[in-house]
Amino acid sequence: MIRRDCLEIMAPLMTDQLVLSSQSGQRIEWFHLSQHEGNLLVGMMGCATGVGMGLALALPHRRVIVLESDGSVLLSLFNLPTLGNLNLSNLTVFVFDNEVYSGSTMSEPTATAGKTDLAAIARASGIENAVTVDDIEGFKEHGLPGVIGEGLHYVVCKVEESLWHREIPRPSVDLAEYKYRFVRYIERTEGITIPFVGLG
Amino acid sequence: MEPVLAEKIVHGLKAAGIDFMTYLPESRLSQILPLLREDGSVQMVAAASEQEAITIAAGAALGGKRVACYMESTGPYVSAYSLLTVGKQMGVPILLLIGFLGSFADQRNSFLYVTIGMRMIPTIEGLGLEYRVIENADNLERHIRDAQRVSDSMRAPAALIFSGEFAR
Repeated sequence: MIRRDCLEIMAPLMTDQLVLSSQSGQRIEWFHLSQHEGNLLVGMMGCATGVGMGLALALPHRRVIVLESDGSVLLSLFNLPTLGNLNLSNLTVFVFDNEVYSGSTMSEPTATAGKTDLAAIARASGIENAVTVDDIEGFKEHGLPGVIGEGLHYVVCKVEESLWHREIPRPSVDLAEYKYRFVRYIERTEGITIPFVGLG
Repeated sequence: MEPVLAEKIVHGLKAAGIDFMTYLPESRLSQILPLLREDGSVQMVAAASEQEAITIAAGAALGGKRVACYMESTGPYVSAYSLLTVGKQMGVPILLLIGFLGSFADQRNSFLYVTIGMRMIPTIEGLGLEYRVIENADNLERHIRDAQRVSDSMRAPAALIFSGEFAR
Protein backbone atom coordinates (compact mmCIF):
# COMPACT_ATOMS: atom_id res chain seq x y z
CA MET A 1 0.00 0.00 0.00
CA ILE A 2 1.21 3.49 -0.78
CA ARG A 3 -0.14 6.76 0.57
CA ARG A 4 -1.70 7.70 -2.76
CA ASP A 5 -3.94 4.59 -2.61
CA CYS A 6 -5.49 5.81 0.64
CA LEU A 7 -5.82 9.44 -0.39
CA GLU A 8 -7.50 8.51 -3.67
CA ILE A 9 -10.12 6.57 -1.70
CA MET A 10 -10.70 9.50 0.65
CA ALA A 11 -10.86 12.39 -1.82
CA PRO A 12 -14.26 11.58 -3.42
CA LEU A 13 -15.80 11.21 0.06
CA MET A 14 -15.21 14.81 1.04
CA THR A 15 -18.39 16.77 1.75
CA ASP A 16 -18.16 19.20 4.65
CA GLN A 17 -15.18 17.68 6.45
CA LEU A 18 -12.28 19.94 7.38
CA VAL A 19 -8.97 18.41 6.32
CA LEU A 20 -5.66 19.59 7.73
CA SER A 21 -2.31 18.41 6.47
CA SER A 22 1.09 18.72 8.05
CA GLN A 23 4.09 19.67 5.99
CA SER A 24 4.98 16.29 4.60
CA GLY A 25 4.68 14.50 1.27
CA GLN A 26 0.97 13.88 1.75
CA ARG A 27 0.20 17.59 1.67
CA ILE A 28 1.45 17.74 -1.92
CA GLU A 29 -0.48 14.62 -2.86
CA TRP A 30 -3.69 15.62 -1.03
CA PHE A 31 -3.79 19.13 -2.46
CA HIS A 32 -3.19 17.60 -5.90
CA LEU A 33 -6.15 15.24 -5.44
CA SER A 34 -8.52 17.59 -3.61
CA GLN A 35 -9.14 21.29 -4.13
CA HIS A 36 -11.85 21.37 -1.47
CA GLU A 37 -12.14 24.70 0.37
CA GLY A 38 -12.15 22.80 3.65
CA ASN A 39 -8.50 21.85 3.11
CA LEU A 40 -5.86 23.63 5.17
CA LEU A 41 -2.10 23.30 5.02
CA VAL A 42 -0.64 23.69 8.49
CA GLY A 43 2.83 25.17 8.22
CA MET A 44 5.64 22.89 9.21
CA MET A 45 5.86 19.41 10.71
CA GLY A 46 4.58 18.76 14.21
CA CYS A 47 1.71 21.27 14.30
CA ALA A 48 -1.26 19.77 12.43
CA THR A 49 -2.69 17.50 15.14
CA GLY A 50 -2.68 20.34 17.67
CA VAL A 51 -4.43 22.69 15.26
CA GLY A 52 -6.88 19.90 14.47
CA MET A 53 -7.70 19.48 18.16
CA GLY A 54 -8.39 23.19 18.53
CA LEU A 55 -10.57 23.25 15.45
CA ALA A 56 -12.49 20.16 16.60
CA LEU A 57 -13.09 21.82 19.99
CA ALA A 58 -14.29 25.05 18.39
CA LEU A 59 -16.59 23.26 15.92
CA PRO A 60 -17.72 20.10 17.73
CA HIS A 61 -20.35 19.26 15.09
CA ARG A 62 -17.86 19.22 12.17
CA ARG A 63 -15.66 16.26 11.29
CA VAL A 64 -12.00 17.28 11.39
CA ILE A 65 -9.47 15.07 9.62
CA VAL A 66 -5.73 15.48 10.13
CA LEU A 67 -3.23 14.03 7.67
CA GLU A 68 0.01 13.38 9.49
CA SER A 69 3.27 11.62 8.82
CA ASP A 70 5.47 9.54 11.10
CA GLY A 71 8.12 12.27 11.15
CA SER A 72 5.57 14.93 12.07
CA VAL A 73 4.00 12.84 14.85
CA LEU A 74 7.42 12.02 16.28
CA LEU A 75 8.05 15.78 16.56
CA SER A 76 4.91 16.22 18.64
CA LEU A 77 4.32 13.08 20.69
CA PHE A 78 2.99 15.30 23.47
CA ASN A 79 -0.22 15.53 21.42
CA LEU A 80 -1.15 11.94 22.19
CA PRO A 81 -1.91 12.23 25.94
CA THR A 82 -3.86 15.42 25.29
CA LEU A 83 -5.77 13.77 22.47
CA GLY A 84 -6.49 10.73 24.65
CA ASN A 85 -7.81 12.84 27.50
CA LEU A 86 -9.89 15.15 25.32
CA ASN A 87 -11.39 12.14 23.51
CA LEU A 88 -12.89 14.34 20.80
CA SER A 89 -15.76 12.64 19.01
CA ASN A 90 -15.27 14.57 15.78
CA LEU A 91 -11.55 14.10 15.09
CA THR A 92 -9.68 11.62 12.95
CA VAL A 93 -5.91 11.49 12.60
CA PHE A 94 -4.37 9.52 9.76
CA VAL A 95 -0.65 8.94 10.14
CA PHE A 96 0.95 7.90 6.88
CA ASP A 97 3.91 6.02 8.28
CA ASN A 98 6.46 5.30 5.57
CA GLU A 99 9.23 4.93 8.15
CA VAL A 100 11.40 7.57 6.47
CA TYR A 101 12.01 11.28 6.41
CA SER A 102 11.24 11.52 2.73
CA GLY A 103 12.25 15.00 1.68
CA SER A 104 12.81 16.34 -1.78
CA THR A 105 16.31 14.90 -1.97
CA MET A 106 16.71 12.30 0.78
CA SER A 107 15.19 9.29 2.53
CA GLU A 108 16.42 8.72 6.07
CA PRO A 109 14.81 6.25 8.52
CA THR A 110 12.54 7.45 11.31
CA ALA A 111 12.11 5.77 14.69
CA THR A 112 9.17 3.78 13.31
CA ALA A 113 11.60 1.98 11.04
CA GLY A 114 13.01 0.62 14.29
CA LYS A 115 11.06 -0.45 17.36
CA THR A 116 8.57 2.41 17.71
CA ASP A 117 4.86 1.62 17.35
CA LEU A 118 2.82 4.83 17.09
CA ALA A 119 -0.57 3.15 17.46
CA ALA A 120 0.62 1.44 20.65
CA ILE A 121 1.79 4.79 22.03
CA ALA A 122 -1.58 6.27 21.11
CA ARG A 123 -3.48 3.47 22.87
CA ALA A 124 -1.28 3.82 25.95
CA SER A 125 -2.14 7.55 25.88
CA GLY A 126 -5.82 6.78 26.18
CA ILE A 127 -6.89 6.76 22.53
CA GLU A 128 -8.95 3.60 22.49
CA ASN A 129 -9.60 3.54 18.77
CA ALA A 130 -5.96 3.58 17.64
CA VAL A 131 -5.07 1.00 15.03
CA THR A 132 -2.39 0.16 12.51
CA VAL A 133 -3.40 -0.86 9.00
CA ASP A 134 -1.04 -2.10 6.32
CA ASP A 135 -3.26 -2.86 3.34
CA ILE A 136 -6.15 -1.31 1.46
CA GLU A 137 -8.74 -3.61 2.98
CA GLY A 138 -7.59 -2.63 6.43
CA PHE A 139 -7.68 1.03 5.46
CA LYS A 140 -11.24 0.71 4.22
CA GLU A 141 -12.32 -1.16 7.34
CA HIS A 142 -10.65 1.04 9.94
CA GLY A 143 -9.95 4.27 8.08
CA LEU A 144 -13.21 5.06 6.33
CA PRO A 145 -15.25 5.27 9.55
CA GLY A 146 -12.93 8.12 10.44
CA VAL A 147 -13.82 9.91 7.20
CA ILE A 148 -17.57 9.50 7.18
CA GLY A 149 -18.39 8.29 10.71
CA GLU A 150 -18.21 9.55 14.27
CA GLY A 151 -15.83 9.16 17.18
CA LEU A 152 -12.13 9.69 17.76
CA HIS A 153 -10.02 7.70 15.32
CA TYR A 154 -6.23 7.37 15.19
CA VAL A 155 -5.24 5.34 12.16
CA VAL A 156 -1.60 4.58 11.51
CA CYS A 157 -1.29 3.60 7.85
CA LYS A 158 1.88 1.65 7.20
CA VAL A 159 2.79 2.64 3.65
CA GLU A 160 5.70 1.97 1.36
CA GLU A 161 7.76 4.99 0.54
CA SER A 162 6.43 6.55 -2.66
CA LEU A 163 8.07 9.31 -4.64
CA TRP A 164 4.83 10.49 -6.29
CA HIS A 165 4.98 13.71 -4.27
CA ARG A 166 8.25 14.52 -6.02
CA GLU A 167 6.72 14.04 -9.47
CA ILE A 168 3.50 16.06 -9.24
CA PRO A 169 3.24 19.88 -9.08
CA ARG A 170 3.75 21.38 -5.63
CA PRO A 171 0.94 23.66 -4.40
CA SER A 172 1.59 27.28 -5.35
CA VAL A 173 -0.75 28.68 -2.71
CA ASP A 174 0.92 30.07 0.41
CA LEU A 175 -0.15 29.53 4.01
CA ALA A 176 -1.98 32.83 4.35
CA GLU A 177 -4.01 32.23 1.19
CA TYR A 178 -4.99 28.76 2.38
CA LYS A 179 -5.96 30.25 5.75
CA TYR A 180 -8.22 32.92 4.27
CA ARG A 181 -9.88 30.50 1.89
CA PHE A 182 -10.39 28.07 4.77
CA VAL A 183 -11.87 30.55 7.25
CA ARG A 184 -14.14 32.08 4.60
CA TYR A 185 -15.39 28.56 3.90
CA ILE A 186 -16.07 28.06 7.61
CA GLU A 187 -17.81 31.42 7.84
CA ARG A 188 -20.04 30.55 4.89
CA THR A 189 -20.87 27.01 5.96
CA GLU A 190 -21.27 27.79 9.68
CA GLY A 191 -22.98 31.14 9.29
CA ILE A 192 -20.49 32.80 11.63
CA THR A 193 -17.90 35.55 11.47
CA ILE A 194 -14.35 34.59 12.37
CA PRO A 195 -13.42 37.56 14.61
CA PHE A 196 -9.89 38.21 13.41
CA VAL A 197 -10.74 38.25 9.71
CA GLY A 198 -13.93 40.21 10.24
CA LEU A 199 -14.31 43.96 10.08
CA GLY A 200 -11.39 46.05 8.85
CA MET B 1 -0.31 37.01 43.53
CA GLU B 2 -3.08 38.56 45.60
CA PRO B 3 -6.46 36.94 44.88
CA VAL B 4 -7.87 40.28 43.75
CA LEU B 5 -5.27 40.40 40.95
CA ALA B 6 -6.36 37.00 39.69
CA GLU B 7 -9.95 38.22 39.69
CA LYS B 8 -8.93 41.29 37.70
CA ILE B 9 -7.12 39.21 35.09
CA VAL B 10 -10.14 36.96 34.67
CA HIS B 11 -12.44 39.97 34.43
CA GLY B 12 -10.14 41.52 31.81
CA LEU B 13 -10.05 38.35 29.72
CA LYS B 14 -13.83 38.13 29.68
CA ALA B 15 -14.16 41.83 28.88
CA ALA B 16 -11.79 41.33 25.92
CA GLY B 17 -14.06 38.60 24.58
CA ILE B 18 -11.69 35.70 25.25
CA ASP B 19 -13.72 32.49 25.16
CA PHE B 20 -11.03 29.81 24.73
CA MET B 21 -7.76 29.34 26.61
CA THR B 22 -5.01 26.75 26.49
CA TYR B 23 -2.50 26.56 29.27
CA LEU B 24 0.41 24.97 31.02
CA PRO B 25 0.16 26.19 34.62
CA GLU B 26 2.97 27.88 36.55
CA SER B 27 3.21 29.27 40.05
CA ARG B 28 2.76 33.04 39.62
CA LEU B 29 -0.61 33.43 37.88
CA SER B 30 -2.17 30.02 38.43
CA GLN B 31 -4.90 31.40 40.70
CA ILE B 32 -6.69 32.41 37.53
CA LEU B 33 -7.31 28.76 36.61
CA PRO B 34 -9.88 27.81 39.29
CA LEU B 35 -11.58 31.17 38.78
CA LEU B 36 -11.91 30.57 35.05
CA ARG B 37 -13.12 27.01 35.55
CA GLU B 38 -15.69 28.17 38.08
CA ASP B 39 -16.85 30.99 35.79
CA GLY B 40 -17.32 28.62 32.86
CA SER B 41 -17.46 31.21 30.11
CA VAL B 42 -13.96 30.46 28.84
CA GLN B 43 -13.36 26.99 27.38
CA MET B 44 -10.22 25.69 29.08
CA VAL B 45 -7.82 23.16 27.55
CA ALA B 46 -4.80 21.82 29.42
CA ALA B 47 -1.84 21.12 27.15
CA ALA B 48 1.18 18.89 27.65
CA SER B 49 3.61 21.38 26.14
CA GLU B 50 3.55 25.08 25.33
CA GLN B 51 4.20 24.18 21.70
CA GLU B 52 1.01 22.15 21.75
CA ALA B 53 -0.86 24.89 23.62
CA ILE B 54 -0.12 27.32 20.78
CA THR B 55 -1.29 24.93 18.07
CA ILE B 56 -4.54 24.06 19.87
CA ALA B 57 -5.27 27.74 20.44
CA ALA B 58 -4.56 28.48 16.77
CA GLY B 59 -6.98 25.79 15.66
CA ALA B 60 -9.70 27.19 17.89
CA ALA B 61 -9.08 30.70 16.50
CA LEU B 62 -9.49 29.37 12.96
CA GLY B 63 -12.79 27.89 14.12
CA GLY B 64 -14.08 31.23 15.38
CA LYS B 65 -12.90 31.47 19.00
CA ARG B 66 -11.11 34.42 20.60
CA VAL B 67 -8.17 32.66 22.16
CA ALA B 68 -5.55 33.09 24.85
CA CYS B 69 -2.64 30.91 25.85
CA TYR B 70 -1.21 31.01 29.37
CA MET B 71 2.33 29.88 30.12
CA GLU B 72 5.42 30.72 32.17
CA SER B 73 8.74 32.21 31.10
CA THR B 74 9.96 28.95 29.64
CA GLY B 75 6.96 28.86 27.31
CA PRO B 76 8.26 31.19 24.59
CA TYR B 77 11.36 29.01 24.24
CA VAL B 78 9.40 25.75 24.07
CA SER B 79 6.75 27.15 21.74
CA ALA B 80 8.97 29.29 19.51
CA TYR B 81 8.52 26.90 16.58
CA SER B 82 4.72 26.93 16.64
CA LEU B 83 4.60 30.65 17.44
CA LEU B 84 6.48 31.25 14.19
CA THR B 85 4.73 28.66 12.01
CA VAL B 86 1.04 28.74 12.95
CA GLY B 87 1.28 32.11 14.67
CA LYS B 88 3.37 34.39 12.50
CA GLN B 89 3.72 32.48 9.23
CA MET B 90 0.08 31.47 8.86
CA GLY B 91 -1.10 34.58 10.67
CA VAL B 92 -3.31 33.58 13.60
CA PRO B 93 -3.97 35.84 16.61
CA ILE B 94 -3.32 34.42 20.07
CA LEU B 95 -3.22 36.47 23.27
CA LEU B 96 -0.25 35.18 25.27
CA LEU B 97 -0.35 35.49 29.06
CA ILE B 98 3.13 34.89 30.43
CA GLY B 99 4.09 34.65 34.10
CA PHE B 100 7.47 36.35 34.26
CA LEU B 101 9.45 33.96 36.41
CA GLY B 102 13.07 35.04 36.69
CA SER B 103 12.44 38.74 36.08
CA PHE B 104 14.01 41.58 38.10
CA ALA B 105 10.73 41.97 39.96
CA ASP B 106 10.17 38.26 40.58
CA GLN B 107 9.94 38.11 44.38
CA ARG B 108 10.60 34.36 44.31
CA ASN B 109 13.49 34.54 41.88
CA SER B 110 16.25 31.96 42.20
CA PHE B 111 19.03 30.32 40.24
CA LEU B 112 16.33 28.04 38.84
CA TYR B 113 14.50 30.82 37.03
CA VAL B 114 16.81 33.75 36.46
CA THR B 115 18.71 32.50 33.42
CA ILE B 116 15.50 31.66 31.62
CA GLY B 117 13.78 34.87 32.72
CA MET B 118 16.55 37.24 31.76
CA ARG B 119 16.62 36.06 28.15
CA MET B 120 12.85 35.78 27.73
CA ILE B 121 12.18 39.33 26.48
CA PRO B 122 14.95 39.14 23.83
CA THR B 123 13.45 35.83 22.74
CA ILE B 124 9.99 37.38 22.36
CA GLU B 125 11.55 40.26 20.43
CA GLY B 126 13.54 37.83 18.30
CA LEU B 127 10.31 36.12 17.32
CA GLY B 128 8.95 39.50 16.23
CA LEU B 129 6.04 39.44 18.67
CA GLU B 130 4.49 42.57 20.16
CA TYR B 131 4.40 42.59 23.96
CA ARG B 132 3.84 44.64 27.11
CA VAL B 133 5.23 43.97 30.58
CA ILE B 134 2.51 44.47 33.21
CA GLU B 135 3.83 45.40 36.66
CA ASN B 136 0.59 46.24 38.50
CA ALA B 137 -3.17 46.19 38.15
CA ASP B 138 -3.53 49.79 37.00
CA ASN B 139 -5.62 49.83 33.82
CA LEU B 140 -5.30 46.06 33.60
CA GLU B 141 -8.59 45.55 31.79
CA ARG B 142 -7.54 48.10 29.17
CA HIS B 143 -4.12 46.47 28.76
CA ILE B 144 -5.71 43.09 28.13
CA ARG B 145 -8.22 44.55 25.68
CA ASP B 146 -5.44 46.49 23.89
CA ALA B 147 -3.25 43.40 23.55
CA GLN B 148 -6.13 41.33 22.24
CA ARG B 149 -6.91 44.02 19.68
CA VAL B 150 -3.27 44.25 18.58
CA SER B 151 -3.13 40.47 18.19
CA ASP B 152 -6.32 40.42 16.12
CA SER B 153 -5.21 43.35 13.99
CA MET B 154 -1.77 41.93 13.27
CA ARG B 155 -3.12 38.41 12.76
CA ALA B 156 -0.32 37.25 15.05
CA PRO B 157 0.32 36.33 18.68
CA ALA B 158 0.87 39.23 21.10
CA ALA B 159 2.06 38.89 24.68
CA LEU B 160 1.21 40.32 28.08
CA ILE B 161 4.07 39.51 30.43
CA PHE B 162 3.11 39.66 34.12
CA SER B 163 5.78 40.77 36.58
CA GLY B 164 5.88 43.10 39.62
CA GLU B 165 2.78 42.68 41.79
CA PHE B 166 1.89 39.58 39.83
CA ALA B 167 5.21 37.86 40.59
CA ARG B 168 4.92 37.76 44.38
